[in-house]
Amino acid sequence: MKYLGWDELLPGAILFSFDEEMEKDACEVLPENRPYAETNSHEAYVGDWRVLKPVYNRDLCIDCQFCWIYCPDVSIISRDKKMIGVDYDHCKGCGICVEVCPTNPKSLLMFEERIENETALAQWPEKE
Amino acid sequence: MSEMKKIKNLKEFSTSADRFEGANLLCPGCAHSIIVREILNATNDPLVLSASTGCLEVCTAVYPYTSWDASWIHIGFENSSTAIAGAEAMYKTLKRKGKLPASCEGKSPKFIAFGGDGATYDIGFQWISGCFERGHDMMYVCLDNEVYANTGGQRSSATPIGSSTTTSPAGRVSYGEKMNKKDMVQIMAAHGSPYVAQVAPNKWKDMIKKIQKGFATEGPVYINAMSACTTEWKFAPDDTIAISDLATDSLVFPLYEIENGTKLTITYRPKNKIPVRDYLGAQGRFKHLFKPEYEYLIDEWQKRVDDYWEYLQRREEAGV
Ligand SMILES: Cc1ncc(C[n+]2csc(CCOP(=O)(O)OP(=O)(O)O)c2C)c(N)n1
Ligand code: SF4
Ligand code: SF4
Ligand code: SF4
Ligand SMILES: [Mg+2]
Repeated sequence: MKYLGWDELLPGAILFSFDEEMEKDACEVLPENRPYAETNSHEAYVGDWRVLKPVYNRDLCIDCQFCWIYCPDVSIISRDKKMIGVDYDHCKGCGICVEVCPTNPKSLLMFEERIENETALAQWPEKE
Repeated sequence: MSEMKKIKNLKEFSTSADRFEGANLLCPGCAHSIIVREILNATNDPLVLSASTGCLEVCTAVYPYTSWDASWIHIGFENSSTAIAGAEAMYKTLKRKGKLPASCEGKSPKFIAFGGDGATYDIGFQWISGCFERGHDMMYVCLDNEVYANTGGQRSSATPIGSSTTTSPAGRVSYGEKMNKKDMVQIMAAHGSPYVAQVAPNKWKDMIKKIQKGFATEGPVYINAMSACTTEWKFAPDDTIAISDLATDSLVFPLYEIENGTKLTITYRPKNKIPVRDYLGAQGRFKHLFKPEYEYLIDEWQKRVDDYWEYLQRREEAGV
């Protein structure tokens, strides 16, 4: 994207969320089907803010959706009432999803960023 | 009036397609965005939004990005209320004159202004008061983190007694903020607003119910949303929901609503009331209160919270 300098911008600015007009309101279009404009922060990346990352264990999850509602960064992906994973482009690693997960052992746990998810899943703790 | 979105349970709610985007620059664990997501997801109607200068605005409109998938405007610190009131007045006029574009037919957009406590309790107060007096059909949401967070944590008139901020620092000669928190909810009720309510993001069901009730109400609606701030309240980012639970269950943030300026209803009664001490002890901004010379303030805190709860209950009983 070509950024304009401060003296090239007009006072007052409009940013577009989408490249084209959608027939429906965005609330009726899933993110994967939206024509995001490059000026939508959905297209940006904050994954490098993380020190720890949440890893998701499908086998333990009861799809309660606590992680979905309390994630500040819209990074818990839920479709058809099922939790399906973490959006690592937008997750900032706050750890709220792990704290609110009610299963025992938890279905989400924080691991160091450098650890592969498969390795993390192999190290999952036992029931307490 | 469009149909209310049906939200039976959290599973059903989780099928909502957010109109608020990630990769905004709010701190990890910030409650502002949890509140915004819950509010926006409470309706499928078109949205017209505004935000005052503050963390929410600054972090969701960082050049060259927007984090909003709906119409959204920012003008200044003090005027998210009048920006949205202007949009609402224009919409009404165009509708009356039959000049709305065909795409607006059969729709009932929701007009929502967001402001921090600094923008609401202090700097934007007279603008909000004017909007409520004129009776615009809008919702004003205060994201109440009890401090000017975006500029580095200065005290506002929402900052509670004993809180250490950069302009009311605790130390050898001071225990921090000396003034009691302004009662904004009651002040907005006193405007004769048809609906005012206090909400908290951890109690999402209570939140959705109130927001939907607010949307169904004609006229200016005020929502005071407790927003736990990991940076200025000084707790770990993964504790945002736990701290919010302490706030609602100690009754430091009681959840209630007031209809038509008078009819008060308590909407949440904690099963296990938690001592205020536990709420204070979980946050760095109150750390100094646990020194022997300041501990009497914790007892005073508890008494203030108990007295206010008693007051709310009496008003509820009396129906005035
Ligand atoms: C008229 C005016 N005064 C001061 C500022 C500087 N300023 C920008 S953001 C901010 C703090 C906002 O605090 P609050 O409204 O509580 O929102 P928060 O950041 O805490 O969410 C201040 C003082 C400004 N932008 N405009
Ligand atoms: S760590 Fe935080 S940002 Fe990442 S998915 Fe969990 S709640 Fe969302
Ligand atoms: S909180 Fe845990 S159990 Fe519930 S949906 Fe998320 S991962 Fe699954
Ligand atoms: S300073 Fe507080 S309110 Fe502001 S973005 Fe950070 S956590 Fe949120
Ligand atoms: Mg604030």
